[in-house]
Amino acid sequence: MAVAPPSRSARAAVLASSVQRSKPVPRPSQARRALIRRAVVVVLVLAALTLLTVSFRSPTAGALHDVQGAGSTALRPFQIAATRVAQPFRDAYDYLHSLANAKSENARLKKENAALRQSALIAAGRAAKYKELPKLLHFEQGRTFPKDYRPVNAAVISTPGGPFTHTLEIAAGSSSGLRINSPVVSGDGLVGRVSNVFPNTAIVTLLSDQDSYVAARDLQTGVRGGIRPGPSGTLALDEVQKQLVVKQGDEIVTDGTHSARYPDLYPYGIPIGRVSSVGASDTAAYLQVQVQPLANLGSLDAVAALVPKKPRR
Amino acid sequence: MTILDGVKAAALLFAAAIAQVSIFSGLHVFGAVPDVLLVSLVALSLLRGSVAGAVGGFFAGLLVDTATLGMLGLSSLVLTLAGYWIGRYGETTGRDRAHAPFLSVAVVTVLYELGLLVVHFVLGESAPAGAVVRSLVPAIVLNLIITAPIYALVRRLLRPAERDELTAEVQLLG
Repeated sequence: MAVAPPSRSARAAVLASSVQRSKPVPRPSQARRALIRRAVVVVLVLAALTLLTVSFRSPTAGALHDVQGAGSTALRPFQIAATRVAQPFRDAYDYLHSLANAKSENARLKKENAALRQSALIAAGRAAKYKELPKLLHFEQGRTFPKDYRPVNAAVISTPGGPFTHTLEIAAGSSSGLRINSPVVSGDGLVGRVSNVFPNTAIVTLLSDQDSYVAARDLQTGVRGGIRPGPSGTLALDEVQKQLVVKQGDEIVTDGTHSARYPDLYPYGIPIGRVSSVGASDTAAYLQVQVQPLANLGSLDAVAALVPKKPRR
Repeated sequence: MTILDGVKAAALLFAAAIAQVSIFSGLHVFGAVPDVLLVSLVALSLLRGSVAGAVGGFFAGLLVDTATLGMLGLSSLVLTLAGYWIGRYGETTGRDRAHAPFLSVAVVTVLYELGLLVVHFVLGESAPAGAVVRSLVPAIVLNLIITAPIYALVRRLLRPAERDELTAEVQLLG
């Protein structure tokens, strides 16, 4: 049985033919827009890379540094205004947080009056906000405060904003006598050093920064080493040979200057932390000493920068 | 984009940058921080295209680096690329899609964090990949939570561009 061929209309035949289609040509306005768009992004990326290069090569001096300082000063009122606008919300959050604490306290302390505990917690929460200041004052008036230095107290403007940053911004700068490498302490102990100075603000690099190094000693055994950042917010006392003795709970303080020719950045005796664990492996030449910092580096309200009474040359 | 739109966009990004460095940078939730500036930039880029996104990202980054006394150009570089890329998405495949802001915010949050990680690594600075990766999911969730109100606000501030104003890269057949 013969099969009839499929009927093909003229339109179908044309559509099915293998005619080469010409490549769609963009309209002149589209091509121009695309060109402008690419030019803009290339220029902006190059500008960002240039700024990055200049800023990376001279982070503490130069015209760009001055312009940035002036810009930061100009933006400060806006930042302060924003902080003040947000303050009621923060207070509300603190209040609710205090209430949550009060509930847990109620469960634990069943015999006490609920209202009394709640108000006590709120009061304690408010007092906790200012606990840094009396401690700082106590440290500055104590015997361990280095004699050749005067403290410059400063509020902490911004805290580390993420995992990349191990710096603080404080509300004191070169006009208060701060210089690069000035040691910075809290009421509990060493916090870090000034790494960049502007007229009214300064950047403090914390002990947790990977480039931080502090010559230190064990106050109980006299063993010396170097404090570097350790894992999970702790510190590590490096370069302690295995035959030396370091015990858990020992206090670690700054080692200070041993030779006038090679002065240390940090004066002797500033508390750094407490030894939390000591370990040794067969292959390592040094002890693995983990140190818990005394200062709470992630939550500081006020610090003091130590400025030499006699300016160094 | 009109001059009025430009002024509105500049004011929006300025306010977002100031809020980010003053308020939200201290708001840590599960190790992450909600990024109002990034979400605002995504909204602007989707509504006004790649050029506005790139320019907005550059100057917003400059503001952040200046306000935080950080390394100038670092945030600008990453935000410029983010704004441009999201703008291109908005001009082409993301146009008129209801899920575009959420998808853009989720993707750009990851790319932004990884971009910052790479730049810090290249500059020889602290680049804790583990901490960044751990904070990615909370960061995406936080940014997605604030996407709807911020996108609605930006959309109210800057009415959606006409078809002609956007780059016609995808020609529809038929």
